[in-house]
Amino acid sequence: MALDAFFGPAAAPARPVRSEPRLVRGVLIGTALAFLAIFLVLPLAVVFAQAFAGGVQAWLDSLVEPDALAAIRLTLMAAAIAVPLNLVFGVAAAWCIARFEFRGKSLLTTLIDLPFSVSPVIAGLIYVLLFGLNGWLGPWLRDHDIQIVFALPGIVLATIFVTFPFVARELIPLMQEQGAEEEEAAIMLGASGWQTFRRVTLPKIRWGLLYGVLLCNARAMGEFGAVSVVSGHIRGETNTMPLHVEILYNEYNMVAAFAVASLLALLALVTLVVKSLLEWRYAGELAASRRH
Amino acid sequence: MNIDIQAITKRFGAYTALNSVDLRIGSGELVALLGPSGSGKTTLLRIIAGLETPDGGTVLFGGEDALQRHPRDRQVGFVFQHYALFRHMTVFDNVAFGLQVRPRSQRPAKSVIADRVNELLRLVQLDKLATRYPSQLSGGQRQRVALARALAIEPRVLLLDEPFGALDAKVRKELRRWLRHLHDAMGITSVFVTHDQEEALELADRVVVMSQGRIEQVGTPTEVYRQPATAFVYDFLGDANRIECRVEGGQVRLASQGQPLGGVSGQAGPAVVYVRPHDIELQPAGDDQATGTVRRVYEVGPLVRAEVDYAGTLLEVAVPADDRMPFRAGDRVRVVLRRGLVFPADRPDRPEPMALVPFRGGASGPVVQRL
Amino acid sequence: MAAATAGGLRQPSVLPGFGLTLGITLTYLSLIVLVPLAALVASAAGLGWDGFWKSVLQPRVLAAFQISLATALVAALVNAVFGLVVAWVLVRYDFPGKKLVDAIVDLPFALPTAVAGIALTGLYAPNGWVGGMLASLGIKVAFTPIGITIALIFIGLPFVVRMVEPVLQDFEAEQEEAAGMLGAGRLATFVRVILPAILPALLTGFAMAFARALGEYGSVIFIAGNLPMVSEIVPLLIVIRLEQYDYGGAAAVATMMLGVSFALLLVINLLQQWVRSRHGS
Repeated sequence: MALDAFFGPAAAPARPVRSEPRLVRGVLIGTALAFLAIFLVLPLAVVFAQAFAGGVQAWLDSLVEPDALAAIRLTLMAAAIAVPLNLVFGVAAAWCIARFEFRGKSLLTTLIDLPFSVSPVIAGLIYVLLFGLNGWLGPWLRDHDIQIVFALPGIVLATIFVTFPFVARELIPLMQEQGAEEEEAAIMLGASGWQTFRRVTLPKIRWGLLYGVLLCNARAMGEFGAVSVVSGHIRGETNTMPLHVEILYNEYNMVAAFAVASLLALLALVTLVVKSLLEWRYAGELAASRRH
Repeated sequence: MNIDIQAITKRFGAYTALNSVDLRIGSGELVALLGPSGSGKTTLLRIIAGLETPDGGTVLFGGEDALQRHPRDRQVGFVFQHYALFRHMTVFDNVAFGLQVRPRSQRPAKSVIADRVNELLRLVQLDKLATRYPSQLSGGQRQRVALARALAIEPRVLLLDEPFGALDAKVRKELRRWLRHLHDAMGITSVFVTHDQEEALELADRVVVMSQGRIEQVGTPTEVYRQPATAFVYDFLGDANRIECRVEGGQVRLASQGQPLGGVSGQAGPAVVYVRPHDIELQPAGDDQATGTVRRVYEVGPLVRAEVDYAGTLLEVAVPADDRMPFRAGDRVRVVLRRGLVFPADRPDRPEPMALVPFRGGASGPVVQRL
Repeated sequence: MAAATAGGLRQPSVLPGFGLTLGITLTYLSLIVLVPLAALVASAAGLGWDGFWKSVLQPRVLAAFQISLATALVAALVNAVFGLVVAWVLVRYDFPGKKLVDAIVDLPFALPTAVAGIALTGLYAPNGWVGGMLASLGIKVAFTPIGITIALIFIGLPFVVRMVEPVLQDFEAEQEEAAGMLGAGRLATFVRVILPAILPALLTGFAMAFARALGEYGSVIFIAGNLPMVSEIVPLLIVIRLEQYDYGGAAAVATMMLGVSFALLLVINLLQQWVRSRHGS
């Protein structure tokens, strides 16, 4: 009996040294689950509850309305540009950091992580200061009729900034753990640099790469602060999905706001599912910090 | 293909891994680089392969400067310590890799590659496991895949880094014998790195003993074992007792008490006698004749070992287990050194070891226990 | 030979591609991150020393910093305590649905902040599921600093859990068993043996949650109410200045904030070095 185990250790069979009384375990598990339920599950439930508060038809209507479609299109486009660029960068950075010893390496690694410690608002602000009308390059850009801020390029730049470290951050520890021996073996067997990368390195890091891209993409499609600063909030033109949610919400159009939000929440859930699958299935091929 | 290593120096920061190393390896030889960790043996092997670049010196393959060639063009087969098998490729693809990545003009046809790979897999007795992945193999099998993969490119030189280091004792012995047969059959100039003296002595034609970035001695297994050039080599190639002594008028005397240990021809001065456990003889003796006290007697497999307190030095003595050890802990004994080497203490680098000539017969009384 | 070049800047290797990949990395890093950040600092510097401080030392700015720091600190503390409990439960105990729980811990990383923002507001507004209950108790959450704190707890939640989890997992059973054999109770074992071992990871997670909370924008602005001097956070103030075309003022506040973030980054790096040196890997 649980109470016996707690109050009368002499009468109960000895409990293993590394475990707690059942009551303590129960309280701890209960606390953890309650905390997670209140702070994670309830908000998620609210999103879907509100999204479907007006029925499935209303939900669907809010999504196929032209401004919503434009927002979805813009979000997809920004991610489709930002993610591949960060992918190429991440692989290049991981190759030179994980495979070579050079001066300034730890500084470079820190700089790559830098965007994670910068507020998203500042991430947007820096591009406004550079490319905005009153910015450093503003007059020159205006003279040449190039629009960066309040247009797609600015949104893409801000998105790249906030998702900058994701792929590199996943690949660097992974490739460092794996070591360079297999690549060295390939070179000794006569393979060229490109052959070595494509036939030896790439298959080794593919799941880690996918993992990094997945997180990068989730953040790219969901980014709010940075994009909000550079977007200009022009409906149907420079509004991404998260920004569209904000506009609808501020107009007290709750059903539509939560409908678009539910689409983003769905993306988050899919991301979590794929991420968990990768962690369970390919634990050995992800960086050690990802395995659990 | 002979390999000529001349004045190779390699530094990692302030640490000197190799200090002007010279070595000639003859065509078709099987050479062991033997030494403790940090002796520079693996660095030397990686420099021969081209995986490291030396700070000074040259490496010649058949008289031609190998350092000018990219490792991929050196035709060197390299077996990594942990094999470095491509984990996402089957055994077959691992072995075929070196042929598949050749430029199109030099690449054999698919069927030729397949034949060659299958032949190699038969050679290493893995033809039945061609479709397995490395993670599905035992350590010994992985090691043989690594070897087959290295041989697939028809190397002029085969380099093996601690080839048996990651295997358990039994597999290790089997593979050792097998590798020797393979080498005799193929005759490729081969160099392997090991820290296991038994492995080096059993397998190699010649043994290169290294310590702290230098070569201590090069010679056949018999030479390095019987005629060690330095105290380090003596110590590293087997169990050894060290006894502080001094050389005086053709005699070696204990440094502490001045008892004579044996005769020697060489310069006077402080020295150290090195004696193997089985070269020490114990004789029963009364208190007036005794020079040591047995502290402990124990049996280890085929040997009986005794620890003997000899003028403050604890000596290890070994006798075959079938000879009954006639002593017990506490017995007083007379210690006779049957054979040993005397290294002058003040010149550890160039020691010119002197053979210790034991005193025999007459004064020492009858030999009761032959060891 | 190509590998031997680069003149001592790096150790030679047989692997190719160093120049190419380093070139890509440095170019991209400079264009996207370094040059724009430098432009921010330059803009702030353009105000001059006096102008900068005049712009930063305004009551409204100071109040925003106070609110941001206080709410981020409280949220990080809550996360440190409950994150530790969650990590402990996930590593040590088995219960149905554990894998699901483990997966959902990362929700705040995956859920767009704006979605989190409107969801939390919907939940804690006086007419929301939880807000209604609390309102009847006389507690007002939405549109107060409490609301900000709740949003910041949400977005910082995974940091502590994910930092502590692996360390707890790698913790040697022998040490606990030794403590038990020496007569220590479970609580004493936890406080004196386990906690010191996971403390560096716990502090790192705390600092990361704090740093993230400080810069957070999307999830906060919906629930905060954004009353100047009461519930206005620093990132919002930057946006407001920008919307008033006060580029210099926005840059000044942002630079100030960047300074705080970098100081935190330094602390996190030092903590992680400490973790590494203690665990010898």
